[in-house]
Amino acid sequence: MQTALSIAMDALAYGMALFIICIGLSLTMGLMRVVNLAHGAFAMIGGYIASWAARDLGLGYGFAILLAMLGTVLIAIPLERLLYRRIYDRSELSQVLMTIGITFCVIGITNYFFGPTLKTIPLPAELARSVDLGFRGIAGHRLFVIASGLVVAGGLWFLIERTGFGIHLRAAVENAPMARALGVRTEIIYAASFALAIGLAAFGGVVGAEFLPIEPYYALRYMVTFLVVVSVGGAGSIPGALAACLLLGAIDVTGRYLVPDFGNFFFYLAVILVVCIFPRGLMGRAQ
Amino acid sequence: MTGATLPHDTAPRLRTLGQDLLGLALIALAGLAGYALFPDNLAFLTRVVSVALLVLSLDLIVGYCGIASLGQGALYGTGAYAAGIACLHGVTEPFLLILIGAAAGAVMGLLMGAVMLRAHGLPQLVLSIAIVQLLHEAANKASSITGGSDGLSGMVPAPLFGVFEFDLWGRSAYFFGLALLILVFAALRFIVRSPFGMVCRGLKEDPLRISALGIRAFPVLLKMFAISGAVAGMGGALAAIATQVVGLDSVSFEISANALVMLVLGGIGHLYGALIGTVIFMALEHVVAAINPFHWMTLVGAVLIAIVLFAPRGLSGTLDEAARLLTRSRWRAGR
Amino acid sequence: MKKTSFGRFVRAGALALAGVCGLGGSAFADTIKVGIIGPFSGPFALQGKNFQAGAEAWLAQNGKTVAGHDIELVYRDLPTANPQQARALAQELIVRDKVQYLGGVYFTPDAMAITPLLKQGNVPLVIFNAATSAIMTSSPLAVRTSFTLSQTTTPLGKAAVERGVKKFVSVVTDYGPGVDAEAAFKKAITAAGGEVVESIRMPLNTTEFSPIMQRVRDAGAEGVFAFLPSGPPTLGFVKAFSDTGLKKAGVKLFAPGDLTQESDLPALGEAADGLITSFHYAVSHDSEINKRFVAAADKAIGAPDLLSFPAVGAYDGMFVIAKMIAATGGKQDAEKAVEAVKGLAWESPRGPVKIDPETRHITQTIYLREVAKDAQGRWINKEIASVPDQKDSGLTK
Repeated sequence: MQTALSIAMDALAYGMALFIICIGLSLTMGLMRVVNLAHGAFAMIGGYIASWAARDLGLGYGFAILLAMLGTVLIAIPLERLLYRRIYDRSELSQVLMTIGITFCVIGITNYFFGPTLKTIPLPAELARSVDLGFRGIAGHRLFVIASGLVVAGGLWFLIERTGFGIHLRAAVENAPMARALGVRTEIIYAASFALAIGLAAFGGVVGAEFLPIEPYYALRYMVTFLVVVSVGGAGSIPGALAACLLLGAIDVTGRYLVPDFGNFFFYLAVILVVCIFPRGLMGRAQ
Repeated sequence: MTGATLPHDTAPRLRTLGQDLLGLALIALAGLAGYALFPDNLAFLTRVVSVALLVLSLDLIVGYCGIASLGQGALYGTGAYAAGIACLHGVTEPFLLILIGAAAGAVMGLLMGAVMLRAHGLPQLVLSIAIVQLLHEAANKASSITGGSDGLSGMVPAPLFGVFEFDLWGRSAYFFGLALLILVFAALRFIVRSPFGMVCRGLKEDPLRISALGIRAFPVLLKMFAISGAVAGMGGALAAIATQVVGLDSVSFEISANALVMLVLGGIGHLYGALIGTVIFMALEHVVAAINPFHWMTLVGAVLIAIVLFAPRGLSGTLDEAARLLTRSRWRAGR
Repeated sequence: MKKTSFGRFVRAGALALAGVCGLGGSAFADTIKVGIIGPFSGPFALQGKNFQAGAEAWLAQNGKTVAGHDIELVYRDLPTANPQQARALAQELIVRDKVQYLGGVYFTPDAMAITPLLKQGNVPLVIFNAATSAIMTSSPLAVRTSFTLSQTTTPLGKAAVERGVKKFVSVVTDYGPGVDAEAAFKKAITAAGGEVVESIRMPLNTTEFSPIMQRVRDAGAEGVFAFLPSGPPTLGFVKAFSDTGLKKAGVKLFAPGDLTQESDLPALGEAADGLITSFHYAVSHDSEINKRFVAAADKAIGAPDLLSFPAVGAYDGMFVIAKMIAATGGKQDAEKAVEAVKGLAWESPRGPVKIDPETRHITQTIYLREVAKDAQGRWINKEIASVPDQKDSGLTK
């Protein structure tokens, strides 16, 4: 029982870390219809900025996170204007090709400027120490990741379902010309949601760094995982992404506990099963 | 086109036949030119031929059926391992090994198709990734059969026709591969032009209309998967024969993703694009990596972005366009 | 930093050649080319950089001429394990670039793809890293200056039992080297009177290690034996070990030195404090010859914190190649060259070493090290004991 609880905690933390990184990708893919394989690259940039801010500038963890999100969005905006805008209504293959290209460039440039070694983001004392839950100790930052995941999920749901911005965004997604005719400035809506997605990627890159360490190949190493998680959840669905992250996180962690030798088999078999049963993802929208 | 002396269905057919022969001659010529210009890089050229078969097989699925796949390495690797294992167990005749690779690839193609055709769009893409990752994992696990991460090594294929050995200089491997490529290419041109190929293309363009004709999509697409598997399997078997080692990289996501990049780079849906994309991408990688091994990735990334921006239909599509513009203006000028 | 090291790298061969020609030496200045294949780009670029730094360090110390023959290094990039590409590169180096020696090679399957070419090409291969025992049996023209996992792991068994830790869980990455390490450790710990109560193999791409730690806890082990290839996952592993409270509970972690590669140490930092590893080389090894080597290699690699074990494999590899050149008088004769270095013994930056005439693999001292801070406050692998004259025992299992 204790063991089961303990595994469940680990699974929850891992799933939430995945969720924070992936939800931005789910938004770009589901709402803006861009298969942004460079999403991981932005998470990585966030991680690098946070590491630089915390280690070299000596800023606190919170400030490092803010700076990472801000900095990553600032880097992403010109990319959106120059590159992404041209592929919004192009085929998925073109989008895949271009975003892989962007990923390659980011990796090459990062490698050049920051070198190939691992970068860490020092945690504040409160998050670094172990918290006693009664049945086991858990690292404080894991609780922080779980809490952040819940806040992100709730906040996004509120933003999209309950605010004016959300209404405009949904309108722009459903029928862009009609939305424009009704006075919705779709370009700004797109740019804003792109920035939001990138900001979330950076946030995820920083808080998830304890799980997925920051190094130049981050962008490529975890690309498949991110893509798989988002598709299993159903692109564009927040509850879907949450469910997928928790489900796959649980399968991954439990699989690795029960039969570590075959951990990957379980993960990918689960993916195949889910996609075969729910061909649009767990909570995907009808196209 | 005033004098319509030919019955109007044979004229285009004859013209395409002529085009195909010209295309095959060009490929053979390019292959021979490769030999004449780079006689010391034959192992590299053989690798290009092997990967070209992989990319061709991917074009059958992506370009003719409209099914995006990031898992083509599953078929390529199956062929490679099947040929490698057969070779270690005493089947050393190269032609037979190619056939074994093709058969194994076809079987895997059937399995993969049966799974992948259950979904559409992005989930389908994810299925392809999951399949190749599963196979990768399985090949790693079954190290007593596959050699695991150390690779399957020690196979010695018999000399070609009992005379030409697969040696250091790699001439036999190259010409063997080139001949195979030309044969496969000719067969594929025939297949995509056949009624079967047309149905596939129809399913890609307008599935509703095809189903209205009473044709079920699943068996047709499955057949294409099997053919694609056979082609990829031959590519893998060729690699196994020429390299005499099969590594886990042959059944990896990386090789699958690279294949897709090469295909889109060259242009999808007319087979020539697959060849052009493979040659350009691999040559670029080879040259740039030799000049500056540390930073070739940035450059390749920039090239990919440029392709999407400036040559949206791939290199071959852009060439087509240019040719069409050129002929049209000449035609006008001629009037 | 990068500019100099990278520029030097690209033009290494060209500069060497141009420099010599510029000096206007003899008109017959014959140049012996050495092809070096390694991961100079991609996820393992750091290891490739270390190859290059080691080779350049040797050239910087010993000059670019051996017994009157100029040496030119030709680098070829092989980013990840890819036997097809390995064979193509080796073939091109032998046939087109006419190299007389091949060196480098980071991954086992790549070495396996190259060895069948050696006899036909009349070229010896000096392996700077690829660490599976079986490679050496695939060609009599291969010599290796790195290590094998059974070589580095075996001394851990006795060391662990001496420290009173007997009941072990073995945790290794599920691929060739991991399986080798697991087997070697099991043998060593059983021989020393301890036991492995559970063996866990985890997939190569594992990033979340807490479930593994949970298993270790369940098994009630006193110690963990761990092998992970050097690189990003080691951080997650070492962190998980301390985060889940195993470290605090007094469980001891023993590992081959791959887990604490010097370039990863700044990131591992506190979490790895006190960890005991066994390996053939620590950058902090205290000897005059190592100090000079580190100074030269630091200069070649650009940033000192990037330097780690592949560099010493390359450095000694160059030493072996130079001996081969001297022994053959610059003529291409692979068999004679390999024959000449069998039994060769010398003082390397890692300590006394010898090429075992039987296996052509390097016999060396294996050190027990502890992660600790040095006088300047940098994390190092501090050597605490040494086990001399370790041969490769990987084939006798």
